[in-house]
Amino acid sequence: MKFELLQPRSLQEALEMKKNYGDKARVLAGGTDLLVLLKDQKLTAEAVMSLAGVRDLNFIRYEDGRGATLGALATHGGVAASPIIQQKFPDLAEACSQVGAVQIQNLGTVGGNLCNASPAADVAPPFLLMDAVLTLASTRGERRVSIHDFFQGPRRTVLQADEILKEIFVPEVPGRRGATYLKLGRRKAMEIAIVGIGVAIHLNGSDQVVSECRIAMGSVAPTPVRARRGEEILRNQEVRDELIEEVAVVAAEEASPISDVRASREYRLDMIRVLCRRAARVALARARGNKEEGL
Amino acid sequence: MKKIPVTLKVNGESYDLMIAPYRTLLDVLREEIQLTGTKKGCDVGDCGACTVLLNGQPVNSCLVLAATAQDAEIMTIEGLAQKGKLHPLQEAFVKEGAVQCGFCTPGILISLKALLDKNPAPTMEEVKTAMAGNLCRCTGYSKMFKAVESVTSGLGR
Repeated sequence: MKFELLQPRSLQEALEMKKNYGDKARVLAGGTDLLVLLKDQKLTAEAVMSLAGVRDLNFIRYEDGRGATLGALATHGGVAASPIIQQKFPDLAEACSQVGAVQIQNLGTVGGNLCNASPAADVAPPFLLMDAVLTLASTRGERRVSIHDFFQGPRRTVLQADEILKEIFVPEVPGRRGATYLKLGRRKAMEIAIVGIGVAIHLNGSDQVVSECRIAMGSVAPTPVRARRGEEILRNQEVRDELIEEVAVVAAEEASPISDVRASREYRLDMIRVLCRRAARVALARARGNKEEGL
Repeated sequence: MKKIPVTLKVNGESYDLMIAPYRTLLDVLREEIQLTGTKKGCDVGDCGACTVLLNGQPVNSCLVLAATAQDAEIMTIEGLAQKGKLHPLQEAFVKEGAVQCGFCTPGILISLKALLDKNPAPTMEEVKTAMAGNLCRCTGYSKMFKAVESVTSGLGR
């Protein structure tokens, strides 16, 4: 592992450097993925640009009724511990608290997790559920990209060579939102998801009729994905056990998992159904304001 | 590769160093500052043996470039005992026999210190979460839990 180290002290300086270096400079946020890849020589880099000095990208801001904005350098630990995130976006808090373990959560950032674009990225499903909007910055200006257009394949995103992810906006939805992220691994900590499922249920007025259902899945396709057909089944419907079962079955049909060292394709398909069912029940209970969440 | 000047503040002391920009905090602590209490296990963030406090937060020092830790307060296992007096956690580990081969112990003590600084009376579940990133391959966790309990039990739980 050998490289030149760039240490910008501001975003502006970082963007200038990225413009000059382009693909030759890898952006280092928390380092929990990048440094491992560099050490294992799965990646080489002429230069590494540490954002440690760009302090104003580590923030969590909330505007009532509008939504939350997270700086790209907000750490998993910071997001998981944020009372407003726990309250408004429990699925995101849960995802962040399930990344690696405490030491990794203190280093790793939500922006890094997205830009790294692993199909198993834990923070991706919650952001997909929330229709998050990413602000990509360069010396040419800023552009806003939907999370749905951000991932292009395993470890590939729409980020251009001179761009840096600046912040992530998650809009607040009207009505009552209940959501959860469930991660399956062989153990609770230090795991890459075998399957990760996020479900959000929105209620408007009645406790029985679902106004919106969203399902996001990780580790089951080349990128984290939404299960749009599964979502349709519950939308504007009265909740019944058979419907939740059907949602889970259809969501699994929308996935295209592979067999790898962590699990087989068949096992993943089975687990999508199980986690989908469970997540839908938890999300529904949360939307209804039930303390007791029937897993 | 050209070396760069880096000043690190470790356990309250300042160290002016000339190091290669790609060296990790772990390697610099061990090889340049000779603080070898922090252990190198996996070197990829899986085992937690290299855990140190960075501004009070436990992190894997193998995943931090030393040059990027310039402005931080770093604490290693060597900084845990104050004025020759062991930290209560260290005392408890000795008393309960919570140290077997000892390789994971520095990292675990740092993780636990960070927990107790934040939460002086944690539940056992919280203790386990705090230690989830630290592997003990002697598998001697029970005595460690006992040791933590002996430190926290008097704290009005």
